[in-house]
Amino acid sequence: MEKLIIKTRDLIKTFEGGLIKALNGVSLEIREGQFVAIMGPSGCGKSTLLYILGGLDRPTSGEVTVDNVDLCNAKNLDSYRATKVGMVFQMHNLIPVLTARENVQIPMMELNLSNTERNKKAANLLNLVSLEKRADFVPTKLSGGERQRVAIARALANDPKILLADEPTGNLDSTSGQEVIQAFQRLNKEGRTIVLVTHDKDVAEHADLICHLKDGKIQAEKEQQRSRFARRYSLDRL
Amino acid sequence: MRFLTLVFKNISRRKTRSAFTVLGISIGIATIIALGALMNGMTTSMEGILKSGEADFTIAQSGIADLSFSRIDENVTGEIQNLSGVKKATGVLIGIYPVGNSPYVMIWGVRAEDLQMLGASILNGSAFANESEIMLGEAISKDLGKTVGDKLVLREEEFTITGVFQTGAIYQDRGLAMPLNKLQELEKKEGYVTVIYVELEEEANLDTVCKQIEENFANLVTIKSASELGKVDQGLNIMNAASLAVSILAILIGGIGVTNTMMMSVFERTREIGVLRAVGWKKRRVLIMILGESITLCIFSVLIGSLLGIIGARLLMLEPTIQGILEPMFTLETFTRAFIVAFIVALVGGFYPAYRASKLSPSEALRYE
Repeated sequence: MEKLIIKTRDLIKTFEGGLIKALNGVSLEIREGQFVAIMGPSGCGKSTLLYILGGLDRPTSGEVTVDNVDLCNAKNLDSYRATKVGMVFQMHNLIPVLTARENVQIPMMELNLSNTERNKKAANLLNLVSLEKRADFVPTKLSGGERQRVAIARALANDPKILLADEPTGNLDSTSGQEVIQAFQRLNKEGRTIVLVTHDKDVAEHADLICHLKDGKIQAEKEQQRSRFARRYSLDRL
Repeated sequence: MRFLTLVFKNISRRKTRSAFTVLGISIGIATIIALGALMNGMTTSMEGILKSGEADFTIAQSGIADLSFSRIDENVTGEIQNLSGVKKATGVLIGIYPVGNSPYVMIWGVRAEDLQMLGASILNGSAFANESEIMLGEAISKDLGKTVGDKLVLREEEFTITGVFQTGAIYQDRGLAMPLNKLQELEKKEGYVTVIYVELEEEANLDTVCKQIEENFANLVTIKSASELGKVDQGLNIMNAASLAVSILAILIGGIGVTNTMMMSVFERTREIGVLRAVGWKKRRVLIMILGESITLCIFSVLIGSLLGIIGARLLMLEPTIQGILEPMFTLETFTRAFIVAFIVALVGGFYPAYRASKLSPSEALRYE
C-alpha cells in the first residue's frame, strides 16, 4: 500500500471572527499517487480545504500534514509552496505580458537556476502538456484549454509531488476541459498525487477517490474501482 | 527569463501611465540639472572674478548682498600692500554697462601695469596708455566684431580699442578693461575700488594673512575659495537654496506620482501577486519586484530629465540678456545629485506599494475580484 502523503484531522477553518465556518472538522487521508476529486455545492469549503493543503491559508484548529510538513506549525510556508505542491486555479492567472515559456519560469525564480536551465526546464514542461509549439505565445494568443495547460506546466515548474487544482475546468468548454483532465491523468500516471476540486461529475469520474463535502464536512467518500487497464485505455482514447 | 525582464515587462503593461509618470519626474530632474548647471556656471564666473590671475585671494566689502555693491577706499590697497607676507595688492573697480546687444557687460577699471594681476594675456595689440583707450575681452571682441584700432562708444564717450585680451573667465573675456581712474570718473566712485586682489609671498601663510586682514579691517572680508563666495554674493546662496527647494519638491511631487502609479499597478495585479505567492515567491521577492519597477521608472526619468535639463539650459542661453553673464556648466556632481534625487523618489514612492504588495495574504489576493 502507498504511503500517506496528505493527512488532515478535525480541520476547522472559520472566517469573520468565527461567524462563518468554512470547514467544520474535516478528516481526510490521501495516499501517494492517488487522484482525488473533492466535490460539493458552492460555499461548502472545497476551495478553503484546497488553500489550506496548498499552504495559502492556515486552519483555525485541527491538524494537517502534507508530505511530512506540519502546515499548522510550520513557521514559513513559502518554501513549502515553492517545492512541495503545485497549484492550478479556475482562472489561469497567467501574467498577460509574458509568453507561455516565461510564465512557466515564474516559480523557478525562487530556485538557484541559471537562465539557460530555466529555459530548458520550461521547454520540457511545455512539451509535457503538448504546448511546445505555443511556447512563445502570450496568453491572449492561446485558447482557454491551452492557457490552463500552461498553468499546469507552471504548477509543475519546481517538480512537486502533489498537484492541487481548484475547478481547473470551470471556465472551459468540454473539449478544452477534456484536454486539461487528460493532462492531469497523464501526470497522475507518472506518480504525482492530484487533488482536484470540482463540481463537475464527469471530471470527478476520472478520480480514484471522490470526497463529497457539505457544510464544511466530508459527507461521503467513494473509491472508484477502475482497473489500470481501463484507465490506460481511456487515456489512449483521449 | 531573467527577473529584470519581468520588471521591464510589468512597466510596459500600461505604457501611457508609465510614460506620464516618467515625464512628471523628468521635469523635476530637468529643473535640478538646469538649475545646477546654471549655478555651477555662476559660481565659476564668480570665481573668475574673485580668484583671477595671480591673486591668491580677494578682498571685498563685508556685509554686502552682491559684489557690485562692494566699495573699498582705494588707500586701503596701500595698507594691505604693506602687510607682512603680501607681495602685491591691486585695487580693481568693476562697473556694469550695456554694450552692443548685451545689457550687462563688466568693465574692469585697472591700472595698465596691474593687468597681469587679472591674469590677462594680450592676444592682439597692447595695453591702454591713456583715458580714451580701452581693451576688449576676446569673446566680446568677436561678438561686437571690433578689434584693435576700432572705436567703441560707452556712455556717449568714444574710446579707441588698443588691445584684445583673454583670461579664460567668462565675465572678463566678455568684458572690457579701462584705466582705473577713468572708470572711477564714469562711475562717480573716485577714490574707491570694488575688490582688492592680493598676491602673497611664497612663504606666507594664506589663512594667517586673511585672518590678520579681517581683524584689522572690520569692514572687509576675504575670499579664499569658491565655498566662501556666499560671503559677498547672496545670489549664490539664494540659488543654492532654490536648488535645494526644487530637489525637495521633486522628491515630494515625484514620490507622490510614483506612489500613485505603483499603488494602481499593485491593485490591478492583486490576484497575480497572489499567484506569485502561491507558487512560492517570498515576500521579499514581491517587494523587490515592485521596488524594481519604481526604480526602473526613475532611471528612465533621470535619462530623459537629464536630456531635457541640458536642452532647457541651452535654450535659456539663447536669451540675449543672459548671454555673457552665465554659461551653464554640466558637472558630474549635478548629474549625481539628480540621480540621487530620482533614487530617493523611487524608494519613497515605491516602498509603500511594494510593502503593501508583499504583505498581501496569498489566499485573500487570490479571492480578490
